[in-house]
Amino acid sequence: MKQVLLICFFLFLLLPLPHELLAQRAVSGKITSSEDNSDLPGVNVLVKGTANGTTTNANGIYSLDVPAQATLVFSYIGYVTQEIPVTNQTAINVVLRPDVTQLTEVVVTGYGTQERKDIIGSIATVSSEKFKDIPIAGIDQALQGQASGVQVTQSSGTPGGGITVRVRGATSVSASNRPLFIVDGVPVEDGALALRDFGGQNDNALSTINPNDVESINVYKDVATKAIYGSRAANGVVYITTKRGKNDSRTVINADVQHGIIDPVRKIELLNATELLELQQEAVRNAGGNPEQLGLISGVTDAVNTDWLDAVFRRGIYQQYQLNARGGNERTRFYASGNYRNEEGVQLNNRFERYTGTLNLDHKVSNKLSFGNNLLLARTKNMRVKGDNFLDGVYSGALKSLPFFHPYDEQGRLIGPSDPAYPSFPNFNPVGQAILPRFDTYTTKIVGGIFADYSFLPELKLTSKFSIDYNGVTEDQFEPSSTAIGGYLLGRGYGVYSTGTYSTLINTNVLTYTRTLKEKHSFNILLGSEILQRTERTSSVTGQEFPSDEYTFSYIASAGVVNQGSSFLLKNGLVSFFTKVNYDLADKYLFSITARQDGSSRFGRGRQFGFFPSAAAAWRISGEPFMQNFAFVNDLKLRASFGYTGNERIGDFEYLGTFSAATYSGSSGLAPSRLENAELQWERTREVDFGVDASLWNGRINITADAYDNLTDKLLFDQPIPSTTGFETVKGNIGKVANKGFELGVNSINFDGNFKWSTSLNFSRNLNKVIELVDTLPIFRGYTASQAGNTNVVLPGQPLGTFWGLEFLGVDPATGDAIYQDINGDGEITDQDATIIGNAQPDFLGGITNTVSWKGFDLSVFFQFSYGNDILNFTNTGLLNSGEDLNTNQVREALKRWRKPGDITSVPRYEYESTFNNYHSSRFIEDGSYVRLKNLTLGYRLPPNMISRLKLNNARVYVSGTNLWTLTPYTGSDPEVSTLDGSTTAQGIDFYTLPQVRTVIIGLNLGF
Amino acid sequence: MSKFIKYPLFIVLFIIASCNDILDPQPINLQITELALNDANDVGPVVTGLYAALRGTGAPTMIAGDFTADMVTHRGTFTQYRELGTKQITPANAAITALWSNLYNTIYSANFILERLPDITGIPAAQRREVTATARFLRGYCYFIGVNTYGDMPLVTTTDRNTNRNIDRTSREEIISFIEQDYLAALPDLPEEPASVAFASRGAVQAALARFYLYQRDWAKAEQYATDVITSENYTLVSEFVQLVQQDFTTEAILELGYTANDDPGTSATGLNNLFVGRREVIPSNEILDSLYSAPSGDRRRTVNFDPALLRGTDNGFIVAKYGNVPNDLENNNIVLFRLGEVYLIRAEARAWQGKINGAGSAEEDLNVLRARAKAPNATAGTQNQMLSLILRERIYELAYEGHRWYDLKRTNRVNQVMAAFSRNWRPAYELWPVPQREIQSNPGLANAQNPGY
Repeated sequence: MKQVLLICFFLFLLLPLPHELLAQRAVSGKITSSEDNSDLPGVNVLVKGTANGTTTNANGIYSLDVPAQATLVFSYIGYVTQEIPVTNQTAINVVLRPDVTQLTEVVVTGYGTQERKDIIGSIATVSSEKFKDIPIAGIDQALQGQASGVQVTQSSGTPGGGITVRVRGATSVSASNRPLFIVDGVPVEDGALALRDFGGQNDNALSTINPNDVESINVYKDVATKAIYGSRAANGVVYITTKRGKNDSRTVINADVQHGIIDPVRKIELLNATELLELQQEAVRNAGGNPEQLGLISGVTDAVNTDWLDAVFRRGIYQQYQLNARGGNERTRFYASGNYRNEEGVQLNNRFERYTGTLNLDHKVSNKLSFGNNLLLARTKNMRVKGDNFLDGVYSGALKSLPFFHPYDEQGRLIGPSDPAYPSFPNFNPVGQAILPRFDTYTTKIVGGIFADYSFLPELKLTSKFSIDYNGVTEDQFEPSSTAIGGYLLGRGYGVYSTGTYSTLINTNVLTYTRTLKEKHSFNILLGSEILQRTERTSSVTGQEFPSDEYTFSYIASAGVVNQGSSFLLKNGLVSFFTKVNYDLADKYLFSITARQDGSSRFGRGRQFGFFPSAAAAWRISGEPFMQNFAFVNDLKLRASFGYTGNERIGDFEYLGTFSAATYSGSSGLAPSRLENAELQWERTREVDFGVDASLWNGRINITADAYDNLTDKLLFDQPIPSTTGFETVKGNIGKVANKGFELGVNSINFDGNFKWSTSLNFSRNLNKVIELVDTLPIFRGYTASQAGNTNVVLPGQPLGTFWGLEFLGVDPATGDAIYQDINGDGEITDQDATIIGNAQPDFLGGITNTVSWKGFDLSVFFQFSYGNDILNFTNTGLLNSGEDLNTNQVREALKRWRKPGDITSVPRYEYESTFNNYHSSRFIEDGSYVRLKNLTLGYRLPPNMISRLKLNNARVYVSGTNLWTLTPYTGSDPEVSTLDGSTTAQGIDFYTLPQVRTVIIGLNLGF
Repeated sequence: MSKFIKYPLFIVLFIIASCNDILDPQPINLQITELALNDANDVGPVVTGLYAALRGTGAPTMIAGDFTADMVTHRGTFTQYRELGTKQITPANAAITALWSNLYNTIYSANFILERLPDITGIPAAQRREVTATARFLRGYCYFIGVNTYGDMPLVTTTDRNTNRNIDRTSREEIISFIEQDYLAALPDLPEEPASVAFASRGAVQAALARFYLYQRDWAKAEQYATDVITSENYTLVSEFVQLVQQDFTTEAILELGYTANDDPGTSATGLNNLFVGRREVIPSNEILDSLYSAPSGDRRRTVNFDPALLRGTDNGFIVAKYGNVPNDLENNNIVLFRLGEVYLIRAEARAWQGKINGAGSAEEDLNVLRARAKAPNATAGTQNQMLSLILRERIYELAYEGHRWYDLKRTNRVNQVMAAFSRNWRPAYELWPVPQREIQSNPGLANAQNPGY
């Protein structure tokens, strides 16, 4: 509490400076654009160094009381700001020039805004222009390939599915590595909301937010820009600003319609029935068995040849409709929108449907008081299917299933568990698994806030805001007796009904003080407080023994046995104080200090509060006299920042030693659940960043480059302990992880005029390394792996996402057996011979977008690339299994298997039930580098004479394709993959994961 | 000036007021360890927790006893069962890790009770003695399973984290004597007739002692404790063997790990119903089917079911029925640790070794009690060796899939001979399970302490 009082005291110190009252005089005038002499409504007119100002009306007219000897500042987004001293004029008309440099663009910086040129730090901005034509579902997807230092990986081609976002690498082993996502000042849920695991592919809370309502996305990457978020900032902050009304009086209505088709990017080639049977017979003979005794009979077993992938895939239909209106006058502004999106997955019965609405209002009561709101509403229906490592998944089932069986019987009915022709465990009928179960997830999302600004003095403003992020999830699931779980396993149906509400209430208060002294010293001081409480309420109930499979009896009301019911409540919160001081000397030397004090409920008494300071400085070289000889340099700024951020995103109550409820034979009691660690505290990241921002040739070339060196210590870590303690892990603050990197962003306008060509390039390289763990013992993660322990390891000196296994040296031409490196030289291949066999993190990644426009046409070509990342093709431990079992189909590469002495090949001999040739080894590690034509859009804007005849403001038609072309050495279905959605230590694993999809759409945009 | 301060001051006061509420929320479904066992009312729930932990050892013990031996053929997809079924066992095996962890988890709960109980006031003396006896008996049982599975093992007798994090193996002999002490200490204080056979009783300790002395080849004591159980008349053989297959809590159960529909193991990776019936991860091996379908087995062939629809390829179509007849059988998930049938077999073997082959009070008499119940022909044997070999075969018929086979083969020194014939992958190292990989890696006391051959 001491800290709170300190901050309190600090707040009191902020006494407003005396305000000089001078003689006021009215000045008025008209503002026009130099481009077409049109009136500019909504231009900000401000007395320099004060908050005294106004905006122009619909006709570009303003009027303002001005003290003597003042300077008026005229600013408007997209135009060069002008300053005009007032001597004794009463009318000042101004012609504003469009700004191509983006230097005066106003950027949201946490709890305030700043012009881009004055930002001391690294912020990547992705404007809505970049993604408006791409049929992305969520705002996280919008970042992919668009911002340097930001790695975005779609975990699979599942619509509305999981996406991994990493800003400047991963800092943590056990706590979350997701950046903090903030929508209009409200921290929102990220990751999965649904309670039930579907084998790898989760739902995604961020896909409930409609990207069409987003104005811009800012990613705060260095400590100077993100330290204001203190304990949640270590993994970067993604700040999403939604669209708001503009000051012009005309209301603009926009309609956008998109229709398209969706296909998987690639279909894995599998063996046909005859090829597979031949392989299986050979495997049994190699094991000294008789294939016919096992029922492997040529001409009988392979009489049926089903292509299961064809059976479960379809061409998905995509549609989206967006209608929005924005407008306003000098007192009230609004933005309202409605959107419907319907995206069919490429797997049968897989669909993501979403309704969203937005209403953002701003109202100015007086020069002192204004208020407003932001409100996003969304409702999604996600029809999910099982996948990945679920045997009864759809895509996974189709890959594994033997071609010897039919999906349908002769009457066209789906073959179910009661049918003798059912393939039975571990092969189920994947077509039935797609069509028959009901896995509907309904999500309701509300992001809302109401705020008021009050200016005590022109320089001193208080903003108070109350916000909520509400997520309600209902999962309605039923697996009838004709499915694997409901029938084969449980007999008479299986129903699960669960609900979860995840809500965060936030109150934010920010006091800002802006003042310029002697024309040279500009201060901007911000003081703030925030309290945040997140509440999670979940419940679920399970039913079995349903009277029939009919829809009417498919709810738990009809279940014969209702069991495994539960309800749960979880609360956590933060109490915070923060401050930011910017000081600008002569527009050349810029300094800023940021600090946040966070108290978190996740730590024990005495450890609750953490302090996260940062300092930054910049030197605008272009402002120095000696730079006047270099006229082509519009802006050149060197900057550096240093400071600390934190991470508190672990589970709740993990510092306590606890018992939890346990049942035994009808009685309930308490059983030990966790060891205590009262010392548990924040994970802390020390960050250093050096950067340069340059704008050359009137903004034709803009360059931003950054180098950083971050070190995370006190890692929140589930330290494995021997189970002789009675437990398997204890949460501790142990270890260090480093991220060092370089990133570059270049925007250039190569041609200007009628034919316009611009290029935007971003490049990132991040070196991630675990510096220190509790001891030198490796920590294993990922899946269990045959004769290697686990697929992944966390090891000092190695990056996170390191793959572990035996070193595969090839196939012995004499015996056909795999040769593994005998690392410990004991003459045997055991798990003691396992070693590092790869890493999932790329050496570098980036994106390049070329945009060309000519007359009404525009063309945008967006490539995205990743180099040096390994993929664990874990799918092939089943699909290229060397005969370990006969329950799965095999990939065509199995045709290259060793068959007789002297064969030179990389695919070992098939031997039934032998695991040796299928030990987990580097045989399954592949290069996952890729270059991908992520998007190509061709648009045509109808000429003005045509649209005016149609009574339109503008009209544009376009076609857009995503994932159209990929270059990769990876042999699996797709290099952009992660079966353990969101995992850092076990990323880049392909385990029967649905590949990305190729979407081709046609769109029409109309403005009224 | 005051209005500039009022609102910020109000905000700060508001935050301070809400601090406690926000920063110290109430946990749900958690009790702080310090408060878990503080007064007399806490004893019942914590003892229930001990049994819940013990139940976690049930399925892995059964898996150790039967999957490591010649009882099953693997046909599923789980690596741990493929390794056990095809005899290619590695220290990273999840089932091997699960048994170790669950044993020590139970031992922790027992030690926790034994440490805390003396400080709690207001408990009737009888209850205090009974709870202490329960903790010691279950701890001893865990070490009995552990030492016969892993050999030498860390002897944990405290809940102290630092002691238990770095602890080396104690010799088998010392563990054995520790078990004996725990069992004998527990014997007098447990009730003759517990509320249910889901809980420990004097009969359960007697049965455990009978098995203990059988393993220790102390035939006289084994016979004595077996006789104590049999003559107590608290347990009676069920009339039809199939009742043992299909029902929970039969009249011959002595200690049985109880599941209700609420906490049934469901589709978990160690749920026996799931492994045998649901997934059919493993199926009965052909060798064991031959035994179960032989004449002396009689009714006991009903330990398995046959479904002709499943007969194809590598699948012999048989299903182990002892853990539920149908997939997800919510009624029949219990795991029997001790039952009267086994006690008869223990006494028969102990008597045979003491030369009591035929006649009154003989091995033959005990054997034929079970034969008669199974509606199988009576057994007769002329020599001690013949009788012993009859008894060992009888154990297959009677105790199949109750987790005895591997331990029986080992204690009678036949494991390598029998298993080498069963699987070409068998190695003598498989007489013991390896110490789990994660234990070797996380406990400095176990560095370089892996069992030979792994």
